[in-house]
Amino acid sequence: MEGYGIGMALILAVWSYIAIVTTLGPGLWWGEALICGAVTGLLVGNVQVGLQIGATLTLMSLGMWTYGGATMPDFMTGAILGTAFGALKGGSGALEAGLAVAVPASILMTQLDVLGRAVTTVFIHGADRALERGDIKGITRWHLLGQIPWGLTRAIPVFLAVWLGAGPVQNFINVMPEWFMKGMTVTGMVLPALGFALLMNMLPIKKYWPFLVLGFLLFAYLKVPVTGIALAGVAIGTLYMSLKGAELNG
Amino acid sequence: MANVQEGPVTKTDVVRAMWRHIITLQWSWNYERMQALGWLWSMLPILTKVYKDPEHLKAAMRRNINFFNTNPQVGSPAIFGAAVAMEQQENPDVADSIKVGLMGPFAGIGDSVQAILFRPILAVFAAALAMNGSMGGPLLFVAAGIFWIALMPWQFWLGYNQGTNLVQEVAGGGRIQRLTEGATIMGLVVIGGFVPSIMAGLTTPLKFARTLTVQGKATEKVVELQGILDQILPYMIPLLMVGFAFWLIKSRKMSPVKILLILTVLSFITAALHIL
Repeated sequence: MEGYGIGMALILAVWSYIAIVTTLGPGLWWGEALICGAVTGLLVGNVQVGLQIGATLTLMSLGMWTYGGATMPDFMTGAILGTAFGALKGGSGALEAGLAVAVPASILMTQLDVLGRAVTTVFIHGADRALERGDIKGITRWHLLGQIPWGLTRAIPVFLAVWLGAGPVQNFINVMPEWFMKGMTVTGMVLPALGFALLMNMLPIKKYWPFLVLGFLLFAYLKVPVTGIALAGVAIGTLYMSLKGAELNG
Repeated sequence: MANVQEGPVTKTDVVRAMWRHIITLQWSWNYERMQALGWLWSMLPILTKVYKDPEHLKAAMRRNINFFNTNPQVGSPAIFGAAVAMEQQENPDVADSIKVGLMGPFAGIGDSVQAILFRPILAVFAAALAMNGSMGGPLLFVAAGIFWIALMPWQFWLGYNQGTNLVQEVAGGGRIQRLTEGATIMGLVVIGGFVPSIMAGLTTPLKFARTLTVQGKATEKVVELQGILDQILPYMIPLLMVGFAFWLIKSRKMSPVKILLILTVLSFITAALHIL
């Protein structure tokens, strides 16, 4: 496949803008890597690679959350760029090529997240001044335009990377040596370990580890499919709650 | 649904404030006062009706542009609803203390419900579907977004009608705690099953030749290491990887980005040496 034209770069930039602003409010979750991967995949004509890259990034992000406004790797932009460039490669190496773009892009983009959150400070000062003038329309304007730094810190990098980056990135992808491809394949399989570990760090493992072992043996020894494990989880969780409730009520 | 109180503020104003809050609270999120401007803009339909005098209005607006930050989807609508009711009753001190007093607890409840319980289970499930090429994966996330938004108006009216009672409801939350515990257990069972299923691809191709003597004749036999590992403990390599990452977080206190780099380097080395 050839590189992308300015049109596709613009469409993906607009999508990234919409995805981040609707994530801010009302909270549509469109900024999730899996949604961005799938949407980008649909737009560039390779849904499969979008789903795979979105899924890999999603698993890496399991324990991550923007607690109190903290910055985390920008898997949204990573998924968009990774899917776009993975689709350029196409074929069997698409996932590896896409991940080679998606993972570093997610990390580099944290700088722009910080920039967006900082620049918006200008807007609340503008609103302070409007308030002192009694200018309600001014307050409204500063607030509603506050989305612009947020949106542009995603849309501009996406636009430039897809429009100008296709050449250099594609050259790199075309000459990817065998060892690099293999390394990326293994990386893709190993990285979910980070997500699981971060998540376990947030949970009271010390107190409840037997439930973790229970889930493991359901899959590893009894070969229960994942839906079955989820159902078992619901049953066990509910049972525990009602037993505990009975204990409390005497 | 709602019993809107008497006074200059109409039901339309209250509903408008609610939707402003639900849709745009975070649009002007910034490091300095975080959700403050979104809070003020959402409150304006109420404040402009209650305070006719421009100076009184300014004073009320200054109060409402103070620092605010909490979970925007779980908690914030309820806090805002309670504050709207208080502002409407010209009870500014109570409105402010509800806002300041509840943002912390609700951020704690909301973030653990969404980030520790809801999202990981959904994410692992959706990722598993997507890995198999199903659009069901991303659609699950779309449904999740709609689900949480659908709960927001309900929270708003709960806060609006409960007012100060909301504070007691949250403070004496034995029921909420038990619910969290049950959900944690469900999460752990699911994660325990998902670690091996998601990471099943991590196997070693290592083989080694062994010379066996069968009936006096020496024969070469190729033994696959993976087969031996499976007999000891199935999915041993995925478990070791998760254990290693967990150890880096817990004992070495490393940041996620650093661990990500370490795991990437480890993957490249083991791939180059044909270990994985």
